[in-house]
Amino acid sequence: MTLNLCVLTPNRIVWDSEVKEIILSTNSGQIRILPNHVPAAIAIDIGILRIRLNGQWLRMALMGGFARIGNNKIIILVNDAEKSSDIDPQEAQKMLELAEANVRKVEGKRQTIEANLALRQARTRIEASNAIS
Amino acid sequence: MAMAALRREGRRFAPLLSPRPIAGVRSSVVSEEDVPFGARSISTQVVRNRMKSVRNIQKITKAMKMVAASKLRAIQVRAENSRGLWQPFTALLGDTPSVDVKKNVIVTISSDKGLCGGINSTSVKISKALHKLSSGPEKETKYVVLGEKAKAQMVRDSKKDILLTISELQKNPLNYTQVSVLADDILKNVEFDALRIIFNKFQSVVSFLPTMSTVLSPEIVEREAEAGGKLGELDSYEIEGGETKAEILQNLAEFQFSCVLFNAVLENATSEQGARMSAMDSSSRNAGEMLDRLTLTYNRTRQASITTELIEIISGASALEG
Repeated sequence: MTLNLCVLTPNRIVWDSEVKEIILSTNSGQIRILPNHVPAAIAIDIGILRIRLNGQWLRMALMGGFARIGNNKIIILVNDAEKSSDIDPQEAQKMLELAEANVRKVEGKRQTIEANLALRQARTRIEASNAIS
Repeated sequence: MAMAALRREGRRFAPLLSPRPIAGVRSSVVSEEDVPFGARSISTQVVRNRMKSVRNIQKITKAMKMVAASKLRAIQVRAENSRGLWQPFTALLGDTPSVDVKKNVIVTISSDKGLCGGINSTSVKISKALHKLSSGPEKETKYVVLGEKAKAQMVRDSKKDILLTISELQKNPLNYTQVSVLADDILKNVEFDALRIIFNKFQSVVSFLPTMSTVLSPEIVEREAEAGGKLGELDSYEIEGGETKAEILQNLAEFQFSCVLFNAVLENATSEQGARMSAMDSSSRNAGEMLDRLTLTYNRTRQASITTELIEIISGASALEG
């Protein structure tokens, strides 16, 4: 029994294939989805999506969105998604440093929120590109 | 006798040439007003000037067609990719355009530049028809207008109903972040029960379908879900990832609106380029036909003036001889 996973962003389809199970991180914690899950609509936070197929785990960085689980069919709609193999570690590290510096120097409520968001996104990308387990 | 025949021919041409208007190109055919009354025929200079201007117009419209064709190719790909975005929403929340709501907000999407055929007028016509359909006691309908062309047309008679107008969408290449900021703006400033987005969907290079997409506000979604029907399935879904179901539904509705708006804006831009391409194509073709007829007139005029000269010379010579 496998799940059919489809990860979509506004610009393109990032992933479309059969997988064994996935681990999502939502606003209220991490959820693991196995085949024959009850139908659910889930809000996804900025975090890592872990996909297991052929006995291996793949990581993807997701930037927030929604997931809909039908009968063994998962559709994930996110603002942006990057596979760990597509992320360049050096570049991700640089973005993280930029984001950290930005957070320290901005002021104004809206900018702080945006800077924090950018920081979390950078951290997620680093995490995704790092431990490939 | 020859003179009379020529004069008759010149007059015969004028009505033949006039009843074929060129789309978007203002030009009048060589007509009798240009010729001072009593002159024998149309001067070649006048015809030549006319030909020069028609030729220039043809070059310009041909170039515009090429530009539109290349832009179309690029944006068509993106529009088709973005179609997959809103389909899961429709599958989850259902598509119920006929839900009866109190506050309708019509979002009309149009282009900023002109010369793109009739797509903007169709969008405006449909928005106005929708406005009439959904007005009634206790119901109100307002507009949010995107794009200069629709704004110009709607400001004339529905000014008081327009809540928000946004222009110059396409100054920077369209991307999701920009559209989501726009969607955010609209959601913040506008109270609505249902949002109807009107745009031209791109079917093919020659056909554009005016389409309406509906996005319901979370309260209405709840109401319909409890009432059963298509949205009743929503209840059977477990909602996770937040504190309350209402909060998730709110986020879902906002995300849905920005996805649908993104797709609508891309499709409308694609339709605009396609319409402009076909309008410019028919313009250049008409200009070409006009040029052909002007060339014929020019040749006849030239030959007529040569004949006139010859006749004068010969009759002068024969008068001298005897």
